[in-house]
Amino acid sequence: MANSAIEVINLIKIYKGASIPAVNNISFSIEQGSIFGLLGPNGAGKTTTLSILCGLIKATSGEASVLGLSLNNNIHEIKQLIGVVPQDIALYPTLTAYENLRYIGNMYGLSGKDLNTKIQDNLEIVGLSSQSKQRLETFSGGMKRRINLVAGILHSPKILFLDEPTVGVDVQSRNLITEHLHLLNKKGCTIIYTSHLMEEAEHLCSAIAIIDHGEIITSGEPKAVMKEHGTENLEQLFLKLTGKTLRD
Amino acid sequence: MLRLYSTIQKEMLILLRDKGGLIIMFIMPMAMITLMALIQDAPFRDYQEMKIPLLLVNNDNGNLGSTIDSGLYNSKIFEITKLSLSTKEVKQKVKSGDYNIAIIIPENASDLLNSKVSHFVTKKLNEAGLSDSLKIDESKLTAELSLEILFSPDTKKSFKSSIISSLKQSTSKIETQTLLKLFNKELKLPDNGGNEKMKDFVDLKEINTVETTVEELKLNSVQHNVPAWTIFGMFFIVISMSGSIIKERDEGSYTRILTMPGSYITVLIGKISAYLGICLIQCVLMLMVGLYILPNMGLPVLIIGNSIWAITIVAVSAGLAATGYGILIGTIFKTHQQASTFGAVSVVILAALGGIWVPVFVMPEYIRMMSEFSPLFWGLSAFHKLFLNGGDIQSVLPNVLKLLVFCFINLGIAYFYNKNHHK
Repeated sequence: MANSAIEVINLIKIYKGASIPAVNNISFSIEQGSIFGLLGPNGAGKTTTLSILCGLIKATSGEASVLGLSLNNNIHEIKQLIGVVPQDIALYPTLTAYENLRYIGNMYGLSGKDLNTKIQDNLEIVGLSSQSKQRLETFSGGMKRRINLVAGILHSPKILFLDEPTVGVDVQSRNLITEHLHLLNKKGCTIIYTSHLMEEAEHLCSAIAIIDHGEIITSGEPKAVMKEHGTENLEQLFLKLTGKTLRD
Repeated sequence: MLRLYSTIQKEMLILLRDKGGLIIMFIMPMAMITLMALIQDAPFRDYQEMKIPLLLVNNDNGNLGSTIDSGLYNSKIFEITKLSLSTKEVKQKVKSGDYNIAIIIPENASDLLNSKVSHFVTKKLNEAGLSDSLKIDESKLTAELSLEILFSPDTKKSFKSSIISSLKQSTSKIETQTLLKLFNKELKLPDNGGNEKMKDFVDLKEINTVETTVEELKLNSVQHNVPAWTIFGMFFIVISMSGSIIKERDEGSYTRILTMPGSYITVLIGKISAYLGICLIQCVLMLMVGLYILPNMGLPVLIIGNSIWAITIVAVSAGLAATGYGILIGTIFKTHQQASTFGAVSVVILAALGGIWVPVFVMPEYIRMMSEFSPLFWGLSAFHKLFLNGGDIQSVLPNVLKLLVFCFINLGIAYFYNKNHHK
């Protein structure tokens, strides 16, 4: 598909020593400019799928392409086009917010005035411009999450992967993060997002896929999927499809 | 290049803000150098150059007193103090431990010796019928002439015997020379102005049963401890380095780096460069301690040889070996606690084997063989070659090569381990 940001065909991932595949023959497509929610219980295969698409691990079999570039042959080009916001605050606590972002920017080849402007603009948006000289270890959980988001979008990626970006943050920070994601999306950035927060996903996503036991069990526009399964909201749909059994 | 520069800058900032790490990297080895050099100064001197405090009370103005004095001085094993004291006072000084040995040469000892020898010669010449014109005073012959020697109570018997026999040798030589001089005089033979020196007819030649290197002969507390603890400090960086790798992995920064464009090898080179820089700063500071601080504490000044380039090459290769080892530990171990415990213990063991605590040449043979496998020994012996032998780059190349091979082996194992365990 010419308009696809991501194209996944028959993707399988079996970890070394594992008997069950973490991702079992999944196929899906994500349109450019969409906000795609990859939802599923713990151990469903969300993070594995994202890790394959970010080039962190290799699929056992199947094909995947990002903006028309095959993951197998163009990983370096793809890495320049994508941004990743991991679930962990993957930054350096003893460095200041500015030093962290300068390092990340440099790693994407940004430097000088251009980088400084990007850092200042993004810090302004997430409300942390006055704390740019403070070490990250002095930040609250919500502030760290916001910096974590900025670190993933500093180089203006065309596709942004977010792994539970609002986990454990206060309502205000979560609101700011989701608003910023909307803003990025309006500017043309395709967002692929995983979360356990169904309400947030329902509000944010233009398309979803629910994955369980490594397989996609449903996908489409949230309203259409809910209607199809006769549920009022995404949480009901999620429980209906994945069950109420506790997951580790 | 930007990625490399940025990684070095980031690592340096993190290191400089880690107060605990700075203490481990800089304060600990500097303190160890100073303490160990001070503690080991006496044993090293004991081993090689420590002089025994000796009190000499020379009441004689003649040949006997001056010959014993110069004999003791020339032996170079005594630190001689000359005082004019009574026997009672000397006894007190030795008893109190101020001196290990005291020698009292009585007043007019040379005159009395000359008189005794003279009467002995006359008596012998008369008995031989060569001269009967001289009268013999038997009381002069039997007059007592004693040198008094006092030893501290803890002196070993064997040491006492060797000192007494050494003094006996000196006095015998003077007796023989005086005898010869008087015989010459009585028989009217030329005696070269009375100053003819007797040569020993039999020489004693010491043959070492164990080969002793020049390094061992020149080694003192400073020459041993400064390079030893410098190498130790450089290798102790494995704790910070492995900790940094594990922290990056645990906190997700490693994963984030992997999602960025470019090769992780650039990041790794940046990390190695930063830690290597720290190792080199450590090395310079430690050598400064040996050059400028220890001499002010009454210890010998560190001699660093003639080749700064060779020292730099050894320091760089030792630093690379240490950082390579740090990366391996950081890759294999899952937690910071595991890595720091194993890192510290393994470095201490390698240090003990490598002759950091005590020089390798005082170790038993089988331990010496094991030392050959310690990278700390390779670094230390390279420094010894440069510092004690005035060696050049060529002389340390085998050690440098071993250190570099050690570094690449560690990096290779880390690479393959990482590849197999993060699929």
